[in-house]
Amino acid sequence: MNSIISAFSKGIEKSGIDRKKISMPSDVPFNPDVVKALGVDYFQIPRGRAIAFGTGLKLGNPSLKVVPVAGDLMTLGGNHFVHGARRNMELLIICVNSFVYKKIAGKPIPSTQSAFSPYSTFEEPFNFPHLGNSCGAIYTARWTALHTEELADSVAEALHKHGLSVIEVLAPGPNYYTDIDSIELELLKFYHENSTIKNNEDPKNVAIVPDEKIIVGKFTDKERPTFIDSYNVQHSKILGDKFTPHGGKNG
Amino acid sequence: MKANPTDVLTGIYYIDGDVAAGYGALAAGCKLVAGYPITPSTEAFEAMCRKGPQVGTVFIQMEDEFGSISAVLGAVWSGVKSMTITSGPGYSLMMESIGFGAMLETPFVLLNIQRGGPSTGVPTKTGQADMMQSRWGSHGDYELIAISPDSPQEMFDYTIKAFNLAEKYRCPVMIMSDECVGHMTEKVVIPEADKIEIEPRRFYKGPPEEYLPFSPDPDLVPKIAKAGDGLGLYITGRVHDERGYPVKNEEFKAKYVRRLVDKIRLNKDKIIELKEESTDDADVVVVSYGISSRVAVKGVEIARQKGIKVGALRLVTVWPFPDEKIIDLAKKVKAFVVPEINYGQIVFDVARCCHGQANVVLIPHGGAGVHNPLDISDAIESAAKEDKKIEGVVEFKTRLEKIVFERGLKLKE
Repeated sequence: MNSIISAFSKGIEKSGIDRKKISMPSDVPFNPDVVKALGVDYFQIPRGRAIAFGTGLKLGNPSLKVVPVAGDLMTLGGNHFVHGARRNMELLIICVNSFVYKKIAGKPIPSTQSAFSPYSTFEEPFNFPHLGNSCGAIYTARWTALHTEELADSVAEALHKHGLSVIEVLAPGPNYYTDIDSIELELLKFYHENSTIKNNEDPKNVAIVPDEKIIVGKFTDKERPTFIDSYNVQHSKILGDKFTPHGGKNG
Repeated sequence: MKANPTDVLTGIYYIDGDVAAGYGALAAGCKLVAGYPITPSTEAFEAMCRKGPQVGTVFIQMEDEFGSISAVLGAVWSGVKSMTITSGPGYSLMMESIGFGAMLETPFVLLNIQRGGPSTGVPTKTGQADMMQSRWGSHGDYELIAISPDSPQEMFDYTIKAFNLAEKYRCPVMIMSDECVGHMTEKVVIPEADKIEIEPRRFYKGPPEEYLPFSPDPDLVPKIAKAGDGLGLYITGRVHDERGYPVKNEEFKAKYVRRLVDKIRLNKDKIIELKEESTDDADVVVVSYGISSRVAVKGVEIARQKGIKVGALRLVTVWPFPDEKIIDLAKKVKAFVVPEINYGQIVFDVARCCHGQANVVLIPHGGAGVHNPLDISDAIESAAKEDKKIEGVVEFKTRLEKIVFERGLKLKE
């Protein structure tokens, strides 16, 4: 997690955006010192509601840069993600995926090793970039906790995008593991040996599949009107002078 | 502070309560309404979607009620006034973030046009059975304010008041209306903006490095800030200290959660609004709220024609509950009669405050309709004649209940 936070901070630096204008609603509990170091406004919200809360922040003040850091993104927050992408709300979603692989009998198999799956995971994970892309996200990327430079570049780039961007970061979720040091080391080694960078790959080909290399990179980078753009166009068209566009060009 | 003239749709209207509440929210300066349409509250959301873009109020139809209330809370922390609108099933979904809003001391307004429950219930007809949910629905200890208007004019007036109370006490404010008032069409007068008093947000204006988002003023309410002002906000639903940082020991919890409760309880006198009529020499007092208080007017009138000394106490503010008023009246009257469209909610709080000094009679109603005023006058009459002290709450047998349970209800094919 620490490597992700420092990559995020580096990304903000590279983007040249004023940290004071960044709001970070998140269901992941961040240490106050970490938030202070990042220099952003932080809201720890109920599980899964980061995107919905962020939607309110952005609509209330379109000059804010809103970066929901989502832990329960596709569980409790699944509907918010799908609709956020559809309406192209200007948010940069950082999705920390703690989905972990482990080698058993020489084969990597998905394993969260958590107290909730003592006999390993048997469910299929989402293909986030594909899901986001097909719902209308304008920017999708995936990196692991090893790819800090690439992650920082993605953050810097996505902070300047007008619309919904999603960056998936594969990282161990430290809170869930009893023997964090050994797992983290083992996992980072695993990421190193089992990931391959394929920028501009069609997102539908980047599912995480056992026994295959994890594809990382930037997959989607396009433009389309944001929610606020469309809101303004529609109401200007119908109401004419009676309507004052919302938020200027920051939408 | 006076209302902004562009927000106020000054004029004389013939509109329903839902629309009037929507216009009230605009007049109060609500700049974001997020909702998910649900009968019978939809007209309020529609009214704001229609007029909102003309006065600079943004609307968004969210994907669900979790999303609606979360967006409202986000909007408030971005610095604007915001509200959401819902009914029964949607209200249940919103409970999560009502507690979150109370914990973050977020000023926002929730309009609940109550319908018949439980569950999907009777979507198109009335009910008053969410009253306890409005007080206790989210987990943990918190206090909030709930108002119950009884006419379209009051829907306009009290929506503005709800925003003012939310800002003043930094807490969620529920407008606990119901389908009858929501769909009742009457004359509504919207005055000029300079006749409308608006409570400004209590923004912090000191040096950024000294800001403590949860450090209270003498009235126990802290100054609020907004995102993007460079104050380095750390805001969490965890129990937190003045800085907003999480704490978990019992001393801290006692200190910080206590204040969430106390800032409402100790300011009760300033918050509570009641409408009291002829209670001075009354033998019986009818305690009611929302649509039931309008029906009760007729019941009281009939009872008075029979020579019974009856007073009326209308709870405009339902939460916090006016304990002291009921305690005071209980010393003087023989009985309280409480008509409500549920099987007993507010009546138990009336009984709690009576301490057995006066009898308490519930006139129940299962919803999908309102009381028969004759039931109310009969209940008043029998309560006035009763000389024994009866413990607990006595349930009055209404005409409807007699038909259903004594004669039997024949199902139509």
